Amino acid sequence: MKRLALVGLALALVAAAAPPAAAQQGGSLVVQVATEPPGLDLTTNPSSAIAAVIFYNVQEALVKVDKHGKLVPWLAERWYTTDSKNYTFFLRKGVRFHNGREVKAADIKFALDRAVNPETKHPYRVQYENIQDVIVKDDYTISVTLKRPEANFLWTVARQGSVIYPREAVESLKTQPLGTGPYLLSEWVRGDRVVLTRNKDYWQKGLPHLDKVTFRFIADPNSALAALKSGDIDVSGFGLGPESVGELKKDGRYQVIVGDTTNDVTLSMNNSKKPYSDRRVRLAITHAINKEEVLKGAMFGYGKILGSNVDPLNPYYLDVSKRVPYDPAKAKKLLAEAGLPNGFDAVFKVAPQYYYTVRSAEVIVNQLAKVGIRAKIQQVEWGQWLSQVFCLKPCENPDYDMSIIGHAEEWDIGNFANPKYYFRWDNAEFQKLFKDSESAVDDKKRRELYVKMQNMLADEAPAVWLYMHPRLVVTKKGVTGIWKDLPIPSFDLTEVAWQK
Amino acid sequence: MAATLVFVSVLVFVVIRVLPGDPALIILGLEASPDAIARIRSSLGLDQPVPVQYLRWVGRALTGDLGRSIQYDVSVSSLILSRLHVTLPLTLLAGGFMVLAAVPLGVFAATRHRRWGDYLTMVLSQLGIAVPGFWAGLLLILLFSVKLGWVQAGGFDGWGAGVWPALRSLLLPAVALGLFQFAVLARTTRSAVLEVLREEYVKTARAKGVAEGCVLFRHALSNAMIPVLTVAGIQLGQLIAGSIILESVFYLPGLGRLALGAINARDLPVVQGVVLFVASLIVMINVAVDILYGFLDPRIRYE
Repeated sequence: MKRLALVGLALALVAAAAPPAAAQQGGSLVVQVATEPPGLDLTTNPSSAIAAVIFYNVQEALVKVDKHGKLVPWLAERWYTTDSKNYTFFLRKGVRFHNGREVKAADIKFALDRAVNPETKHPYRVQYENIQDVIVKDDYTISVTLKRPEANFLWTVARQGSVIYPREAVESLKTQPLGTGPYLLSEWVRGDRVVLTRNKDYWQKGLPHLDKVTFRFIADPNSALAALKSGDIDVSGFGLGPESVGELKKDGRYQVIVGDTTNDVTLSMNNSKKPYSDRRVRLAITHAINKEEVLKGAMFGYGKILGSNVDPLNPYYLDVSKRVPYDPAKAKKLLAEAGLPNGFDAVFKVAPQYYYTVRSAEVIVNQLAKVGIRAKIQQVEWGQWLSQVFCLKPCENPDYDMSIIGHAEEWDIGNFANPKYYFRWDNAEFQKLFKDSESAVDDKKRRELYVKMQNMLADEAPAVWLYMHPRLVVTKKGVTGIWKDLPIPSFDLTEVAWQK
Repeated sequence: MAATLVFVSVLVFVVIRVLPGDPALIILGLEASPDAIARIRSSLGLDQPVPVQYLRWVGRALTGDLGRSIQYDVSVSSLILSRLHVTLPLTLLAGGFMVLAAVPLGVFAATRHRRWGDYLTMVLSQLGIAVPGFWAGLLLILLFSVKLGWVQAGGFDGWGAGVWPALRSLLLPAVALGLFQFAVLARTTRSAVLEVLREEYVKTARAKGVAEGCVLFRHALSNAMIPVLTVAGIQLGQLIAGSIILESVFYLPGLGRLALGAINARDLPVVQGVVLFVASLIVMINVAVDILYGFLDPRIRYE
């Protein structure tokens, strides 16, 4: 049955534009981020460090993922589709780029065509491969025809790689990105800071509140904390250690934000290797792990226990965390059934640059020992992790038993439908479920498929989903408008202000 | 000197290429197509044999062209130059602190041999050796920035904001950076002066009734300076290397942080350029030390 979807009457937008009651107009803010962006071009590099600074602050897309993780109209004030195959977007009029020129449909066509072009360096080109044709109907209307129905296409145009920029400025995106966002890039002092200044002609009247924002790159959590306490920075945006949260919460000078993210901390197993190719062994490992204890040990209890690959910010999230509960006796029984009554030896390869991976592995190694699995931790440098565990080209087969890493991408359940992904899980039934969910037009049907997939992942245990990595932000008292959750990696400052 | 630089350049070139992590993938991302990767590898010259890559790089480096940064898309030479306004003054300040504090303290300890002043100096220098620079840095931040609020916890706003504000933001890192080297140099000075004080000519000078100050500074210290200068020269090089960690603790945009970021991002031209630049700097320091020997001891002459 065909359905007519007419979305986005900009009601949400009006609400978003209304300033917080006590927001002060003007002022400046210094925000710490842990990683310096490797260039500033969202369309050629998938780094979340670029998105943290540039996405939504300097550049925006047709559709926005709001603070609750929902899609809302943005540069497109509405859109229209009957079949999830043909989309028509109606652009908001009067929106201007930072160079003063109005956004026209030709800019959208340029950005999408460039993303599709095999010659481009677009990091997510595979997500745009389904685009067959982009047609400019008039200056403010554009239609996109897909090769096959794709229910997630709106997510594609909402992603960081789909930002809209003036086509005449495409060559300078890496160092001087222009867009339509509430702030303009003023200065990038490499190795130290990015400075943004207020876009006086921003299309949302009254926004942004701040005159100037400085993103300062401080990688070390202790240094970031010291910088906050000495007043050098106003916000520690990324990298606050969970061990500091308790102390800061008690201190009246600061406010701590603990929220959700799309980052699923996952214990991966090499499903192409014995004994992990045996479902009973994978289930035994899952039963042997007390996730509550892992969360306490690694994250001081901040975060949420997971049971599958879908994060709590996803609209199709289903809590399956109790489906394969902590049960060491059952784990031992399953190991015996799999012909391993005395357990086996295993190596955890983890990258210490992500502290939570080592901390989690330390707790888990002790838990696995109780059911006879003799696991050792091997810390490897990130480049080695990428080539040995994640099996980057030219690697043919991953070289690991178990590992732990956070998977921060939203809507990434498809990784389990990819037998070449480093889990090396090859399950035809799951692959079909995922394929059906991609082409399902009806939301109810799609939800059912997602429920099935989540239950199946829990039951098959190709990996162990440990916990959702929490969003931990600390600010000086008086900073308002910072998102509680992090449905996408942007540190959106559009509505951030100092309280009056 | 030239042989050292050639050896360093070959070493850094080979080591960087042995490390896992393909710069083409870092530029294009994990989902890049093999075609796109091949194109980028070709444009970076990574598809050429390593000896050819090396010769091309050295050829360009001799003309001052160290290549272009992969992540920043600017020339490596300009990146290095843009970081020197932090790292050079930081190293000089740390070196100044090291020499100005260590030499008098070493002399003081030598003159108080096996008395409380000597023991106190030895305990202090032992502490300086035992405490890692990054931890000392954090302690200094806690005391002077967080508790007392005298200086900022880190960062560097440039010399444009004024000489004093810039120096102020480099003071704590310079002390933290120089602490270990200060301790080593204080002990070296103490032993060198002690050794000279036992020499016959010192006894003779004292017997002739030369004032103790003159004995100490004119006869003893000037003769003890050769080993002190040798150690100080080596230490200056170590200070530049040590800045990698301290610049991260104090989030200073210097050469050390540039190198660290480039290593993580597999920005090969930057890593190679920085290592070659630092190696050249250390070689030059050693040459300067050799020349200074001649001034300190007229018997030393270079043909």
